[in-house]
Amino acid sequence: MQHWKKLAFGVALATLGLMAAAKADDYTSLPRKETLIVENPEGTIKNPGWFNIWVNGGGGVSTGLQQLTMDTLWYIDPEQGLGGSTWDNSLAADKPQYNADFTEMTVKLRKGLYWSDGVEFTADDVVYTVKTQMDHPGMVWSAAFSVQVASVEATDPYTVVFKLKKPNSRFHALFTVRWNGAWIMPKHIFEKVADPVRYDFANPISLGAYKLKAYDPQGKWYTWEKRDDWQRTSLARFGEPAPKYVTYVDPGPPDKRTIAQIEHNLDIIHDNTPEGMFTLKEKSKTVDSWFPGFPFAHPDPTLPAVIFNTQDPTFQNPDVRWALALLIDIKAVDMASYRGAATLSALGVPPTAIAMKDYQAPLQDWLKTFEIDTGKRKIKPYDPTVGQQIADILRKQPKFKDQIPTDPAAINTAFGYGWWKPDPQAAAELLEKAGFKKTGGKWMTPDGQPFKIRMSVEGDTRSVFTRAGTLIAQQWAAFGIDSKAVPSTSLWQTSLQPGDFQVAIAWSVETWGGDPDLSFFLDSWHSEFVAKKGENQPPRNWQRWSNPELDKIIESIRKVSADDPKGIELGNDYLKLVAREMPTIPLMSYNVFTSMDTTYWKGYPTIADPYTDPVPNWANSRLMMVKLKPAQP
Amino acid sequence: MASYPVFLLRRFGQFLLVVFIGISATFFVTHLTPIDPVEESIGSIQQMGQSDPRAVELMRQSLRALYGLEGSIWQQYLHFWGRLATGDLGPSLSAFPTPVSTIILRSLPWTIGLMTVSTLITFILGNIVGALAGYYRKNMALKAVSLIFIAMQPIPYYIFAFVLIILFGYVWPILPINGGYEMNTNLNLSLALILDILKHSILPALSLILVGTGSWLIGMRALVSNIITEDYVVFAELGGVQKRRILRSYIARNAMVPQFTGLAMSLGAIFNGTVITEIVFGYPGIGNLLISAVHAGDYSLVLGLSALSIVGVAAAVFIIDVLSPLIDPRIKVE
Repeated sequence: MQHWKKLAFGVALATLGLMAAAKADDYTSLPRKETLIVENPEGTIKNPGWFNIWVNGGGGVSTGLQQLTMDTLWYIDPEQGLGGSTWDNSLAADKPQYNADFTEMTVKLRKGLYWSDGVEFTADDVVYTVKTQMDHPGMVWSAAFSVQVASVEATDPYTVVFKLKKPNSRFHALFTVRWNGAWIMPKHIFEKVADPVRYDFANPISLGAYKLKAYDPQGKWYTWEKRDDWQRTSLARFGEPAPKYVTYVDPGPPDKRTIAQIEHNLDIIHDNTPEGMFTLKEKSKTVDSWFPGFPFAHPDPTLPAVIFNTQDPTFQNPDVRWALALLIDIKAVDMASYRGAATLSALGVPPTAIAMKDYQAPLQDWLKTFEIDTGKRKIKPYDPTVGQQIADILRKQPKFKDQIPTDPAAINTAFGYGWWKPDPQAAAELLEKAGFKKTGGKWMTPDGQPFKIRMSVEGDTRSVFTRAGTLIAQQWAAFGIDSKAVPSTSLWQTSLQPGDFQVAIAWSVETWGGDPDLSFFLDSWHSEFVAKKGENQPPRNWQRWSNPELDKIIESIRKVSADDPKGIELGNDYLKLVAREMPTIPLMSYNVFTSMDTTYWKGYPTIADPYTDPVPNWANSRLMMVKLKPAQP
Repeated sequence: MASYPVFLLRRFGQFLLVVFIGISATFFVTHLTPIDPVEESIGSIQQMGQSDPRAVELMRQSLRALYGLEGSIWQQYLHFWGRLATGDLGPSLSAFPTPVSTIILRSLPWTIGLMTVSTLITFILGNIVGALAGYYRKNMALKAVSLIFIAMQPIPYYIFAFVLIILFGYVWPILPINGGYEMNTNLNLSLALILDILKHSILPALSLILVGTGSWLIGMRALVSNIITEDYVVFAELGGVQKRRILRSYIARNAMVPQFTGLAMSLGAIFNGTVITEIVFGYPGIGNLLISAVHAGDYSLVLGLSALSIVGVAAAVFIIDVLSPLIDPRIKVE
């Protein structure tokens, strides 16, 4: 062979070798049938090599880190859970045991659980987690532990006793996963580190059923591999996880991720636009969604609402807030925001499955007879047929008609029960009762100023609710109120927290989802936590609303344990109170348009088998791993 | 030239002053924005389910201390300069405690690669076409090409970015429209990686080149138009020197002196990044990083990126100024 031919052959061989080497480690080289590919909604991770989840260091959390490798004492699933209960004793062997006055909590731990490096998980890890974070201000759970924990000790390798500074019947909530929780640290790793705050935890060891295999140094993807000893993890109680590999990716903008799923290269899209979901349902025969038909999406245990800044004098009177509620045509708002794919709620609780059973359904009769006094008459503002009406509207659209349920119970589940009737006449009477006057077609405040409302919305970052807020502002403007929507960058940080807003579309209610205990958000609504005007409001009472009756309800809830049925009764009292007072106007659940491709995997959670929330950035989504089955031999 | 050392010292003093004023202004502007990095961090932590108001307040105090944001803005300002004097840009606030320098160094090569290549291509293309168009003024093809570049020059480059995305991403989908490399690419240095990176840089670079070439072209054509009336060019033409040689050796070489000054400034400005191009194409450079830092209220990172940009541009101008009297005999130091 001539020299130049040898040279060319050598170069070609080397090039092929280099290209093969370049493909060797990335996730697409893994067997597709053994790999679950999931969207990470955090996008590209800014600090990809940071795995210290106990410090907010710019690393990803939903990269699989919290879903697949972390663990803590308990989980409450936002849906029905596995094993017949939403409550799951995970690292704990049993429920938390409190003493009589809730100043001490004892935890019994499971035996036989191991970290991925072969070291056994024990009570020392739990004690170390708490003490280390208390000793290092700035770690994610350091403040929460510091304000509550007087002491923590391991009385034996599988028992931890917490002594609390003040009685707290919900202290265990810190160690209970809804979306996340206080994850347990590996003592044997961190105790060798000079400063836990500055340690990146590269090559993280795992307490979950998966361990890190590889990740993109630019933060685009993370791949996790099933542990050989997965039986020694808490998830093993539910069976063997099916996917050998799970990859979390940033698949790019919505169109790209939609195309990727149509081409079966992305198994789970975390969230899509309503339009994107409609397209997927139309173009792909293999896409599953929470509801098989409208509204497709999963109702998050979060309640978007019109939030009033009740420290603004204009919105201190409940009559004004009620007047504004009666000017909203919720059907139009629903169509403008979610294109009809929403689950409505007239009550101050998100319409998740458990809340439908414990709150929404039992209060329907009360709502039907509920009256408000406009000053001139009493009206019954509730329309129990709104969910049905929306279903009827959607059924007229040829594209969707076969996907709209007809069974009234299914309609209630999908679209919600009812909502408030638009009643401009009653709204006018309520405003007049509050001292407002209409002059020259425009409403004036009691002190003679034009009634102006600026509705803060998040703009493009949350376009569904921006559309809702814009339409509501238009409906108020049509009534003669100088009202318009204004986009606010970083709405929570620049408007809600400092109280620098009049009215906003956001949420101040979040629940456990799968559990009726409302303390997850309600405790923070107590008047003791309402900030003074001009000061930062701690979460979640963004409306800065206080009410002595509410305080009594909250204080009563604090005195009963989380699973005491009395809590539901008190929850109903709260719902009646906020319906009367209307500190926020509840709109609908935060519907998340998660889509799941069944080409390679089947057994995703759906309304027919609601064993967990399908949204894959929740830590509970680890349950999917044991329920999924390969769709191909 | 006896006064050159004095000039050098004076000019260096100006350089330091520009850097000082530029960085100081950035410090105060960033600290006056309504976005607070502590609140941003607390927002992230709250998403993890924490809502105990007492804990949130304690966390606020802890983070303020940890991030070095305690004390008055003047105390923070002095602390900042004290740290910068030792070459320490401090930790990123949105990716605490990772040093700002680490985060910048991860993005910087992407921007330098994209900007250097596109700047050099723009410079070479613009000057060649400009020189030819200025010299062969009656050539219709050159006139047409010049007209196209000059017409494109005032159009914002992001418009071209969108046009290119539509053309090559959707109508004729042959080029990637997002990112610096294919998501599933292994980042170990290899031929495949280099080709992939080049492929991903074509559209962002093209959007910069299409717009940027026009300004070099206009400048070069104007310089050539002036030079061709100079005596030495006229004499060369009358003397029968080849046109190609006249253009290359008599005209272009002289016209290039101010163009190189412009090139040096453009290269210095590389550290500014191309924010919109990087956002439109999802390119992982410092422009994208800057936007995410602004959104997160990450003062440290914004200051680090701004300092880089200020020092880059000021240094380029300084180097041009101090070298010009040595290179160009027409420039005298007074």
